[in-house]
Amino acid sequence: MNELELIQGLKSGDEASFKYLVDTYQDRIFNTAIGIVQNAEDAEDVAQEVFIQVYRSIHSFKGESKLSTWMYRIATTRALDLLRSRKSKKRFGFMQRLFGDDNELMHELPDFNHPGVALDRKENAAKLFKAITQLPENQKTAFTLHKLEELSYQEISEVMETTVPAVESLMHRAKQNLRKILANETD
Amino acid sequence: MNNNRNNKIEEILGSLDGTQKAALPDFFYTRLKARMEKGLEPTIKKSWVLRPAFAFAALGIILLINAVVILKGDANKNTASNDSETIQSIAAEYSLNDNSLVYDLNQDK
Repeated sequence: MNELELIQGLKSGDEASFKYLVDTYQDRIFNTAIGIVQNAEDAEDVAQEVFIQVYRSIHSFKGESKLSTWMYRIATTRALDLLRSRKSKKRFGFMQRLFGDDNELMHELPDFNHPGVALDRKENAAKLFKAITQLPENQKTAFTLHKLEELSYQEISEVMETTVPAVESLMHRAKQNLRKILANETD
Repeated sequence: MNNNRNNKIEEILGSLDGTQKAALPDFFYTRLKARMEKGLEPTIKKSWVLRPAFAFAALGIILLINAVVILKGDANKNTASNDSETIQSIAAEYSLNDNSLVYDLNQDK
């Protein structure tokens, strides 16, 4: 099934097309989300929301970009939304503990271990993931898409709706910031 | 020393190179379909402001403020009636209510 047929199938509500879409893209979307949210359960949640959004808004997809580019864009937006809501939850953690009915304690997430990292690199990768959480959103997105999804700068620029030099600059700044963060951590 | 530290940082920075892609657990499609059938709306978690405990606490505070305002209003009424009695007694003592003491301009004419 080529992309055009897939889009036509999705627009006509064909379930086989939707299943094909999920089978084809689920791991790419999950891998992107897990790099940003750094938690497998949250990443699966994001992946589900991405496919639901695609199902609901396929009629508004004009085909100006590739389907995968559009889906990466939705995935990064949803993952960043989740990080924002996590941050605001943390901010209101005190109030939640006062008035929350479940009395859940808001605590820092433990170090993240990406399932695809080789065993001998796990310790370093955990340090790097911790440092990535401190990057600004756009640097985080560019760095994650490049390092984990191995997207080219051209592809990243399409996902982020910017230019290739802008992505190069984002990557350069991301690496500089990570060096600074890691230098402070190793002191 | 500095070189060692820089090497370590570069090693950490390169630790994601060649990372294998994370894969979803099995039966993702089944879980996705179940969620879609449950309701197409993505789960939006309720704000803490909308939680019953918070709503009842806010209602309690509003009722308390109302009660304080009403009770304070009654107390003011009593004070006001006491004040008028005091003024009347002072007026009586100094015969301020006696109209004869009022200088009548018309009488002189």
